[in-house]
Amino acid sequence: LSTIPALRLGTAWARIAGLMDEAAETFVRTSFSSVVRDNWDMAVGLMDSQGRQVAQSSRSVPSFVGTMPRTLAAMLRRHRPESLSPGDVLISNDGYLGTGHLNDITMVRPLFRAERIAAWIGSTFHCTDIGGAPSVEARDAWEEGLTIPIARILRGGVENEDVIAFLEANLRQPEEALGDIRAQFAMYEQAGPRLFRILEEEGVESLDALAAEIFARSERAMRAAIAAVPDGEVTDEVTADGFEHPVTIRLRLAVKGDGITLDFSGTDDQIARPVNSPLNFTRAYSNYAVKCAFDPATPNNDGCFRPITLVAREGSIVHPRRPAPVWGRHLTGHYLPMLVLAALGRLMPDRVIAESGSPLWNVYFTGEHADGRRYVRMFFMNGGHGAAASHDGPSCLSFPSNVATQPVEQFENAVPMLVTEKALIPGSGGDGARRGGLGQRIGFRVVGAKPVTATFRHERVAHPPRGLLGGMPGRGGRDLVNGAKVPAKARIVLRPGDAITFETPGGGGFGDPAARRAEDRARDAAEGYVA
Amino acid sequence: VTDAPFRIGVDIGGTFTDLVMLDTRDGRLFNGKVLTTPHDPERAVLEGVRGLLERHGVRGEQVRHVIHGTTLVANALIERRGVATGFLTTQGFRDVQEIGTELRHDTYDLFMRRPEPLVPRRLRLEVPERIGPDGRIVAPLDEAAARAAIRALREAGVQAIAACLLHAFANPAHEQRLGALIAEEAPGLAFCLSAELVPEIGEYERGSTTIANAYVLPVFARYLARLEEGLRAAGLGGPLFLMLSDGGTVAAEVAARHPIRLVQSGPAGGVQAARVIGAAAGAPDILCFDMGGTTAKAALIDGGEPARSLDFEVSRVDRFRKGSGLPLKVPVVEMIEIGAGGGSLARLDALGLVRVGPDSAGSDPGPACYGLGGTEPTVTDCDLLLGYLDASSFLGGEMRLDREAAEAAVRRALAGPLGLSVPEAAFAVHETVNTAMAQAAAIHALEKARRIEGYALVPIGGAGPVHACAVARKLGIARLVVPAGAGVASAFGFLAAPISFALLRGQVAPLASLDLASLGAMLSAMEAEGRALVAAAGVEAASTTIRAAMRYAGQGFGVEAAIATLDRDAIRAAFEAEYGRLYGRIEATLPVECVGWRVTVSGPTPVLDPAGGTTPGAVAFKGTRPAWFDGGFVETAVHDRAALRPGETVLGPALIEERESTLVLPPGARARCDAARNLVVELPAAP
Repeated sequence: LSTIPALRLGTAWARIAGLMDEAAETFVRTSFSSVVRDNWDMAVGLMDSQGRQVAQSSRSVPSFVGTMPRTLAAMLRRHRPESLSPGDVLISNDGYLGTGHLNDITMVRPLFRAERIAAWIGSTFHCTDIGGAPSVEARDAWEEGLTIPIARILRGGVENEDVIAFLEANLRQPEEALGDIRAQFAMYEQAGPRLFRILEEEGVESLDALAAEIFARSERAMRAAIAAVPDGEVTDEVTADGFEHPVTIRLRLAVKGDGITLDFSGTDDQIARPVNSPLNFTRAYSNYAVKCAFDPATPNNDGCFRPITLVAREGSIVHPRRPAPVWGRHLTGHYLPMLVLAALGRLMPDRVIAESGSPLWNVYFTGEHADGRRYVRMFFMNGGHGAAASHDGPSCLSFPSNVATQPVEQFENAVPMLVTEKALIPGSGGDGARRGGLGQRIGFRVVGAKPVTATFRHERVAHPPRGLLGGMPGRGGRDLVNGAKVPAKARIVLRPGDAITFETPGGGGFGDPAARRAEDRARDAAEGYVA
Repeated sequence: VTDAPFRIGVDIGGTFTDLVMLDTRDGRLFNGKVLTTPHDPERAVLEGVRGLLERHGVRGEQVRHVIHGTTLVANALIERRGVATGFLTTQGFRDVQEIGTELRHDTYDLFMRRPEPLVPRRLRLEVPERIGPDGRIVAPLDEAAARAAIRALREAGVQAIAACLLHAFANPAHEQRLGALIAEEAPGLAFCLSAELVPEIGEYERGSTTIANAYVLPVFARYLARLEEGLRAAGLGGPLFLMLSDGGTVAAEVAARHPIRLVQSGPAGGVQAARVIGAAAGAPDILCFDMGGTTAKAALIDGGEPARSLDFEVSRVDRFRKGSGLPLKVPVVEMIEIGAGGGSLARLDALGLVRVGPDSAGSDPGPACYGLGGTEPTVTDCDLLLGYLDASSFLGGEMRLDREAAEAAVRRALAGPLGLSVPEAAFAVHETVNTAMAQAAAIHALEKARRIEGYALVPIGGAGPVHACAVARKLGIARLVVPAGAGVASAFGFLAAPISFALLRGQVAPLASLDLASLGAMLSAMEAEGRALVAAAGVEAASTTIRAAMRYAGQGFGVEAAIATLDRDAIRAAFEAEYGRLYGRIEATLPVECVGWRVTVSGPTPVLDPAGGTTPGAVAFKGTRPAWFDGGFVETAVHDRAALRPGETVLGPALIEERESTLVLPPGARARCDAARNLVVELPAAP
């Protein structure tokens, strides 16, 4: 049944996975934006001739798990494969076809071999400015910036000037965006010949043949892992703070045989605020959680996700209809892995974690330096990690997204503000047999003579991260200006001397607090991890 | 002592302490090997030195200097054998050392852990003070509070204190004052200040480095004192130098203050050896491939210069995963390490595919073929079954390998479940490990912005020459230089490398508005500083190279190019030639920025005797044995490396054996013994 001997398959697959990492590395090294080179907010993917994902760069953030093939399918409904030539590149950032918001631009290039499309290489990257006026007040997707419809940005290797002109006219920092786009053209150009050289050297006749084998083995491994868990059906729900009203996401999770179904049908309706999670984003974070729990080691590919059935109701906040605004779709999407793991915990408690202090917290500071130069600076801050059966949750660790913080010293060199503290919050981790990770308090003071605008949108203030299997919830987050609580989703103008403080949520505990070991309690007290 | 003719290099490794002595009058080399004494490592060094002097009738005062490298610092950190350490920092920031970067080093592992901080939270104390990003004092140091904190740490029993204040690299005044207060409040206590050790932005990494330095300082200082005393007692009055992690050299008293700079000392010697060996064969661009028992390492050497970096990690929770350890900002020869050595275990994963490492059978029980109780197949077992290694001549015949045990292990764990023959399964393992190594090296090259197809591969370590040709082929490398005696490469490297100092200056400036006059002055000053350092080590400065890191305005990573003349057009041309070669595209309309300058001043290359060691009159051809090439066993010629004479050529397929290793030469390859007795291998592209 296998056309490729196992000894060839292993090395050919490893080399192709390595090729994706090499391509990602090339992009990062030549990128013009901080979000690509510092946060790796990008992914490179390889699809077979049918557009199914064979490999993906390994450092990709979970938002991009499996989204590229869906974008490619949409592109090919517009441009039939027969109409494409070598050196063509298709582009789009449509949030409903891509990763869920306009800031992620996806491009795909067909790779020809013997005058036929043998593979597709593509990439998605985060573009910090996408025009428009994205804000927490946005009521529809048009306010959120420029939508690049599916377009051919490169024809036979030559730039399509009309597309470039549209981008230049609509973006605030076109040099940065176009610099990144062109860096990816160079990356595709190098990757194609290397792919075919690997196939030749490994004696594999085509990528499709290799892909079929990879899909089959990955699917088998995932199915075997699922089948090892007893069948069962559980329901669970998590409530997000939302805006005027809380929003509840409801899950019915069923493990049956070697398949798993995630049914979000009972989830609340979409809202006219920019927190709706388009289906691709919902799928990426749901699949991510299942992969973490059942088969974290196999590199991502189409086969891994075949045993997962996702059900979502159109018009709900996890499957919104256009033109619902989606800029902050992570404020819904980041809840999904935590909900999936909490539900799975009742079937396989040793393989999951309690809820973490996320969706990801961040703040944008904008203003003017003394000399009139404008700045926009984003600062990420993570909450406590959920505890597991085997150990306490780490403090301030990114999950489910994977975004680093930045050095305070670097921040202070870029923005006329002083960071007054960056400290663990004792007692913020949920109690339990295993304690949740601690959240952090981080304070900023305006030290320049001009005002600073702080824009943020935080969750887990009214509804803190839940504990699991008897564990207690973590402490909820707080946002304070000059010591007084302010709304968690706001744009606030700070005057010189004003102080703004963020307290990220602590992680949920795991298991009955009465079962916590005395030595762990003694250590918590000695080191000041508890209040 | 400057006319004392002998120089000694010593490398303390996990199992053996290797010594190499050079007679500078005729370039002859003398080797020594003694068992490492882990609890007091100076004992093995002194025993080895005394033995070497006695055997060759050399007196202590005839030794000009000793150059030493050691894993002591790295091991003290990995095994947590440093001293109880306290930490002082700016009020509000003691948890920075526990919070770290907040990044997951493994996106999919829900249970990922971070390394425990070296200093627990209760010993991390804060002092009220604040310096701004421009170095201005925002709040003065509260001396009473600082004294109280120091006393509290002293009373808690710490033996060393590390201090890292925000923006201290911009203004070290408060840190220096803390140092003075520590000397007053806790006289004799070891302490370390961040701005003195790492004058770099980034409070987490700078603090982490300062803590690691303080943590190992008392242990290392005591060791050095004992070693120097022992050397003096043995009659060696010359200076003791230490090999730094970046391949540079320092005097012992400097090393004692900044032991963290020795964290990668031994492997740096191996890279220096590869550099000298490559240069002797006319290969300035080298991929050094060091494959031992548990890991393989790769390092790049460009134009005779090892790639260096300021980023290192120790104490990784996941040894081979970047980001899972404690960050150290120390200059190191940059290398990647993967879990693919001779002892790495092979098995089938959940997908039914062959996986090798990162876990290893180590030396106990070791590979199945060692016959010491190991039952899992390893890379070495597979190399034996493929005929690359010989059961009777391994380690010069001192250790007989058990072929049946290797075969049983491979059959049970791999060949049976895969439905393959034993040699086919063994070859799958060989290929898998070669692919992993080649992949890691290729990505490393990209991180260093290098295309390595034109490089020469220099294999060292026991398993290096066995796998070198196959790894080279996967990387598109056509040429190898295989040294003799790969086993003592590090100690050899300490001696063989010219004494050298690299000076770096970070300075971001648009090329178009660069002040060439003041740049020239800065570079001259750097060169003068380098020359003074080389002179202090007792040799004449022989060469200077200047390299600039540049990028297009808006990018974040620089590409380095050698600069011959300080002319704007020439500088841009040098950058774009390099950029275009790497990325296949240049941006002719975009402005270029210079981001850093590096000046390297080196002493003369020591003269070594190329002919020493040949077995006179011996016959190289030892017979034949079957070895696996191109899908089947081929009756393959076996040669004795020690008997090959300069100018002789061996055609593949062939196996060229020496005591610690075997060079596997595939069909189509040819190996020529050059004047320096290195084997230069020409490798045609894969058929």
